[in-house]
Amino acid sequence: MKNLFDFLFSYKHWFVFIFLEFVCLTMLFNYNGYQRSVYFTTANGTVGTAYSLISSVTSYLNLGDENEMLETKNEQLRQEVLRLKSLLSEYEKDSLVNISGLAPKYDVVGAKVVGGTIHKSNNLFTINKGTEDGVREEMGVVSSNGVVGVVYMSSSHYSIVIPVINTNSRVSCKLRGTKNFGTLRWVRGRADMAIMTDVPRHAQVKKGEVVLTNGYSDIFPPGIPVGFVVGVEDSPDGMSYMLRVGLYSKFETLREVSVITNYTKIERKNLEGKADSLLNSVN
Amino acid sequence: MLLMMAQILVCNNIHLLGYASPLIIGYMIVAMRRDESRVSLLLWGFATGFVYDMFSNTAGMASAGMTLLAMIQPSLALSMSPHETEDEMRISVHEFGFWNYTMYVFFSMMILHTVYYFLDAFMLSDIKLTVLSSFVSSAIATVIVVCLDMMLSSERNK
Repeated sequence: MKNLFDFLFSYKHWFVFIFLEFVCLTMLFNYNGYQRSVYFTTANGTVGTAYSLISSVTSYLNLGDENEMLETKNEQLRQEVLRLKSLLSEYEKDSLVNISGLAPKYDVVGAKVVGGTIHKSNNLFTINKGTEDGVREEMGVVSSNGVVGVVYMSSSHYSIVIPVINTNSRVSCKLRGTKNFGTLRWVRGRADMAIMTDVPRHAQVKKGEVVLTNGYSDIFPPGIPVGFVVGVEDSPDGMSYMLRVGLYSKFETLREVSVITNYTKIERKNLEGKADSLLNSVN
Repeated sequence: MLLMMAQILVCNNIHLLGYASPLIIGYMIVAMRRDESRVSLLLWGFATGFVYDMFSNTAGMASAGMTLLAMIQPSLALSMSPHETEDEMRISVHEFGFWNYTMYVFFSMMILHTVYYFLDAFMLSDIKLTVLSSFVSSAIATVIVVCLDMMLSSERNK
């Protein structure tokens, strides 16, 4: 203890000096407005910089936690996307929603496929809706995935449908986003593949392009998906392209379909019939 | 007391070129005997600066400078004193010799004025002006202090 006091006593002038300078600076900042404002401004800036540095360091140290939190959030969002996708696919399967979404003015009748073939040249399907349900000949039949075929004949409770995968089927189609149209046919073979003929050679066709109905056939409204382009070939006569089209409708497992009941335009048919009869009378 | 009055009434009114005001109160510490205790020097320095600050409305500035000068004065005096007068306790032109004493006073005044003007400016943006003020004020104060000491020494010798 004595040594400590001796030590402190031998340096007493330093303590006095520090104390007096402290008093001087206290007076300086207390009684001089300019020095006080500069001091506080500088002190605030210094403290702000120090806090910023501390924050940078701590945020860097917390990156692990931050990363973990982001991973968790990412996983949650991934699950959410999957859930929404699944929900969306459910809605797409609902042909009523699909068709009414495309063209609300068309009425549709839901039906079930009760019989049919997919391996013959002239495949036919039977659905469980007939004339009593409003189903008539030449009405379009679609599924949630796309075009199925056309009603060939109807009884009171059943109807026969000529599907796209019938060698006699013809559906007028176009490529999405273009005005290039052609005719969808089927050649015996694979039930998920058809061909689109009469596509003009100036059309720039790419693989994967979507094929839609073009509305010219008076059976299907325009814009119903049919399939997508899987290959581009020249037609046998070399005058046009022949496209290989993968069909959206899965005929092997087709169960639920919808019949478009009121798309056929009677007024147009009457007009065209009147024109034909006039031409016949002139001739 | 006379030194303080001369400082407040005369030297505070000297503003050479608008930026030089000599602080001759530094003579109070400069002229202190070498056997004076450091604590005593510090207290004298602080007290002198404090009184000056009170009259000049410069709270803390001269006090800080005078306290620092008082802290350094013994070392400065020892380093500037001629060898043959190491045992001499009085610090004056007569004992130190003119050039040694002038240099000793100038360095002392530089310490005092540098602290004073830097605390007054309190920013480094005008550092050139602050250094110039310190230098010119120190030079003027040195001239005044040396003349004053020569007068007092001759009075003592009589």
